[in-house]
Amino acid sequence: MLTPTQRYAAGALFSLALHQAQEHQTSPLGFPSHQDEDGGGESSEERVSSSSSSDAVSDDTQLWVHQSSGLLRPVFKFLEIDSRAWGGLEETAAYSPSKHHVGAFLRLLAEETSDVSEGAAEMELALMNSIEAMSLSMENTPADYESKKEKQREYEQACREKFSTPDKMPESELKHNSMHNNNRQEINVITSIVEESHAQSISESDGKPLDEVKMLSYQRKLAVLYELLSACLANMSEDDKKSTRQRKGYDARYRVALRLLSTWFDVKWIKMESIETIVASSAMAILKEEESKEVAQSKKSSWAKWKRGGIIGAAALTGGTLMAVTGGLAAPAIAAGFSALAPTLGTIIPVIGAGGFAAVATAAGSVAGSVAVAASFGAAGAGLTGSKMARRIGDVDEFEFKAIGENHNQGRLGVEISVSGFVFEEEDFIRPWEGQQNNSERYVLQWESKHLIAVSTAIQDWLTSRLAMEMMKQGAMMTVLSSLLMALAWPATLLVLTDFIDSKWTIALNRSDKAGKLLAEVLQKGLQGQRPVTLVGFSLGARVVFRCLQILAESETNVGLVERVVLLGAPISIKDMNWEATRKVVAGRYVNAYSTNDWMLGIAFRANLLTQGLAGIQPVNVPGIENVDVTEVIEGHSSYLWKTQQILEQLELDTYYPVFNQSVLKS
Amino acid sequence: MESSSGAVPEFDYLFKLLMIGDSGVGKSTLLLSFTSDTFEDLSPTIGVDFKVKHVTVGGKKLKLAIWDTAGQERFRTLTSSYYRGAQGIIMVYDVTRRETFTNLSDIWGKEIDLYSTNQDCIKMLVGNKVDKESERVVSKKEGIDFAREYGCLFIECSAKTRVNVEQCFEELVLKILETPSLLAEGSAGVKKNIFRQKPPESDASTSGCC
Repeated sequence: MLTPTQRYAAGALFSLALHQAQEHQTSPLGFPSHQDEDGGGESSEERVSSSSSSDAVSDDTQLWVHQSSGLLRPVFKFLEIDSRAWGGLEETAAYSPSKHHVGAFLRLLAEETSDVSEGAAEMELALMNSIEAMSLSMENTPADYESKKEKQREYEQACREKFSTPDKMPESELKHNSMHNNNRQEINVITSIVEESHAQSISESDGKPLDEVKMLSYQRKLAVLYELLSACLANMSEDDKKSTRQRKGYDARYRVALRLLSTWFDVKWIKMESIETIVASSAMAILKEEESKEVAQSKKSSWAKWKRGGIIGAAALTGGTLMAVTGGLAAPAIAAGFSALAPTLGTIIPVIGAGGFAAVATAAGSVAGSVAVAASFGAAGAGLTGSKMARRIGDVDEFEFKAIGENHNQGRLGVEISVSGFVFEEEDFIRPWEGQQNNSERYVLQWESKHLIAVSTAIQDWLTSRLAMEMMKQGAMMTVLSSLLMALAWPATLLVLTDFIDSKWTIALNRSDKAGKLLAEVLQKGLQGQRPVTLVGFSLGARVVFRCLQILAESETNVGLVERVVLLGAPISIKDMNWEATRKVVAGRYVNAYSTNDWMLGIAFRANLLTQGLAGIQPVNVPGIENVDVTEVIEGHSSYLWKTQQILEQLELDTYYPVFNQSVLKS
Repeated sequence: MESSSGAVPEFDYLFKLLMIGDSGVGKSTLLLSFTSDTFEDLSPTIGVDFKVKHVTVGGKKLKLAIWDTAGQERFRTLTSSYYRGAQGIIMVYDVTRRETFTNLSDIWGKEIDLYSTNQDCIKMLVGNKVDKESERVVSKKEGIDFAREYGCLFIECSAKTRVNVEQCFEELVLKILETPSLLAEGSAGVKKNIFRQKPPESDASTSGCC
């Protein structure tokens, strides 16, 4: 569908995006508190030019674009870019700030139109139509959204009723409301700053991005993204022992790079998600078709060729059946998935029909590559939900994934795992996450509910005890936190009261560390199906996520697993916890949401608070971590139960650059 | 990304060199001849190629990062972004094809003026393929005149016989070493905001040739 020169330019843009995404790990786009993109670029230029540091790609194996990461070359290979050009592309991406080159490559992509055959243009158009149709079916209808909202409100109401004396001061509600308008104004300013600097940094990424992007037709952009995604999913890499990347499948770094690229292209992320779904579904369709042919006997030469080419994942070869390839995606589920898609697509686009998915893939010239995608699902679905590993480990009594949302067995290539950490009953593991709007395949992790409920209830009981109530009325709690932070003396009454929380809290902390380790093991085993994972957790759940990252950070091979992370009200020390290392295993955004008046967390975690800081109530000053102050949203630690969803909405996780959009804020 | 190589630097200066010129004049072969002492007939370069060569010139250990650009028209738009920050530019023509010589002033010279961010950047004119003496159509005199007019260095060489190949790069590097501003760039951080004066569309320059 694309000419060789276009594929070259696409490969180049992808490498630039990949490298840029890595730079943004430590200096996020449009984030004033750290180096902005300009600064980041400049520093890399310095790095390049200074005589003391390494400067050619070949010297720095930490780079994603470096050959040893095994990320770029398979993509180049799939795109059929001449191998002699690889070195130049890698060097271009790593050597100089990408903003200089993005425009030039975009222009190259756009200019090359003369020798595009009519057929290719038609294919581009057909592809665009199917992507549009797909994204229509994936988009949430307003009614849908409202019903989810309603459900969430119900949950909030239920929670509030349950904690008739929630851990907030009585007057805070009033204050909250009266302050609301002022705050909103103030906050709007903040948001606009972030957005402005984003716009700025984007436009800085080259002199006049809009012109160049405008030169590209929409179809062309989608075609490029489609080709690149197919390339990312194809199992082209021969087993390169030098490569540190041992996993096949959809690397989280690929997804982040594609996300940046779609930002450069000014293409909505949902289009990219549609492309993901189309590629995944067509891959499964093709596999199924080929499988039946195979069984029927005639050794289809093409099939044999694919096998010889090592294109089919190992799973396909050893398993020998479709089931083995698709893992947990049971056959009926696949069929259901297709029939769900087929009507939408089939009626709208002529190419989608009998064997239509195959047609789309063929049109894009990426049949071979797509086939490997199915393997990348691994043991998804059943893999996660079926992994009750707890008993085997022994240290953890309960550790179970539960599927939520409607996106299962739909060929979604993004996985989200949500972890609650402050729960009063089992449904608190699920309900905080239910109303979330996104297109990932979503799971919640239910873990150690007994201990969590025990500690949460103890805290709640303590809050409702008379002494605490008295103190709250006097507004003492607000000063507690500040005295904690300022190392002032503690009111003796508090110390006595907290005693009986402490033992339960200690157990829960300990269990969360162990659960984190388990989670890391699950991800390392690829039970999520070699797909990029987004991890979200609040309270002790955030600690599970963090612990998981720490374990993953211990090995170099784990860098491509996790795409995004959101920690809310996290009981994690800031010092001595090696946040920098965990930053490296998160390919994309890494958010720490904190509330400066979450004094309950402060008290529970007071042992470490003084000397080491606490992520749940303070910003973490580690480059690349997005600190978001949610004090305005959170009234007390238990608010995370019903406010998490709103915070996630405000974070707009599908956006490449840091966002905390206050305009979604509802009173 | 803090590259934490606190080790002894393996070189004193790092220079970025750029090779430009029409398709088929022998940029890639010249570079190959310089970096690995071999001669091959190469197919046209795609986009850009990149080679590193460590040399010692004038007692200084140098690391040369040499960017070899595609001469083909369709990649012209790409080349523009590689001029940035180059301390030396090598303009190559084929002594047996006059148009490759005239294009240097008609097209490539303008490109340099447009895109080079380095006012002091050293330019070098190289007439390649002198081994084909019988087919020569551009005389040495013409080359010298052009170089004088344009204020650049000049050499004639052959990538095939390796005549003057080493000298070509050496002379260029020596000249860079003599230029304090370039030297400073090669050893320390690059000046800021240079790229803000982004030149206008390249279309103007490419339209001149067809």
